Amino acid sequence: MNNRLNEYIDGIFATYEGTKSVGELKADLLADLQERYRELLAEGKDEETAFEMTVDSIGDIEETVQEVSQLSRVLERKVVTRFDSTDLRGSDFAGVVARDGKFSTSALRGSNFANADLTGGKFKSSDLAEANFDGANLTDAVMTTSELKGSSFHRTRLVRTDFSISGLEGVRFADAVLIDVAFRKTDLRHTIFERCTFTGVDFSISDLSGLNFDGASFTGVKFDRAGLEGVSMRGAILRDCSFRGWSKKYYRALATVNFEGARMDKLTYAALKGFGVAPANVTVE
Amino acid sequence: MSTNKVTSDLLRGNTDTMILRLLTEADRYGYEIVKLIGERSKGEYELKEATMYSSVRRLEADGDITWYWGDESQGGRRKYFRVTEKGHATYAHNKTTWAYAKRVLDTLL
Repeated sequence: MNNRLNEYIDGIFATYEGTKSVGELKADLLADLQERYRELLAEGKDEETAFEMTVDSIGDIEETVQEVSQLSRVLERKVVTRFDSTDLRGSDFAGVVARDGKFSTSALRGSNFANADLTGGKFKSSDLAEANFDGANLTDAVMTTSELKGSSFHRTRLVRTDFSISGLEGVRFADAVLIDVAFRKTDLRHTIFERCTFTGVDFSISDLSGLNFDGASFTGVKFDRAGLEGVSMRGAILRDCSFRGWSKKYYRALATVNFEGARMDKLTYAALKGFGVAPANVTVE
Repeated sequence: MSTNKVTSDLLRGNTDTMILRLLTEADRYGYEIVKLIGERSKGEYELKEATMYSSVRRLEADGDITWYWGDESQGGRRKYFRVTEKGHATYAHNKTTWAYAKRVLDTLL
């Protein structure tokens, strides 16, 4: 509505962008200023006067912004020390760099790790429910035996990340490329995967029952001894995937997987066929 | 000039309590706080946005207030501030302190 006001605020905040708290302050301030500006215009002030009066009502915002961003930096500094076994519920770690950070056995429920660099981070046995990992880098991060219920992984960088034996109910992976990620012995029945690609992912001994992988792309993915009852892989692409089980139950479940319209290489197809599963309407390439 | 400075420092020093007072009446959002302080002081004291947010942040860190998202259509969602149990106590305490300081100053000045 008022570009000039937006630009003015952008200018003030330009050097401090990046942390969630600063972003929030900026949004709050802008909402206030827009309301004031609208009121001044409604009172009959001309645009120039209204703008000047609005800008004048801000006061020394730089000082406040500095206070806010310093608060976030204190958190960033703490990361390089240790975070083991601490209560950090609802903390703001957005955009921080915390390589090899130690967060094991911590209460981090509801924390914000958006766009943070958490390469090599240790999150073992922690409470990470409702946490936000959108856009974060979790290369080589260890998140085993953690509670991740309801957390979000949108456009998260996931390379060799280990989620084995963690609580992933209601967890959402979206627009992510999963490379060599491990989900061993994990209950994934209520996990959401949207527009993800899977390369070298290990789903061994995990329960994938009822999951929807329509249109997904799988390369070198292991589904060994996984629960596959009612899984939908319509239109999916499978390359060099492994389906191996040791029980009749496994093959009975495998027969219920919907491969309608899927494309797969000869090896994957032969593997399925060898186990008595001959998916119809698939393209073998 | 210097009188103005002293006055405004004195007033600004009590921003936290002013905001707590407004929030003991009702939950309010940022601009509402600034506007009400302007109106109630009949324009004698203009609380700047920066001072208000700095104060709000402090009150929040001290556990005197919390906030929640309101659901307003115009101008997007607003953050509403609400006074906590602790905030009520802080307000009462600050009022007493001020009454005491005022009495002492009145006898000295």
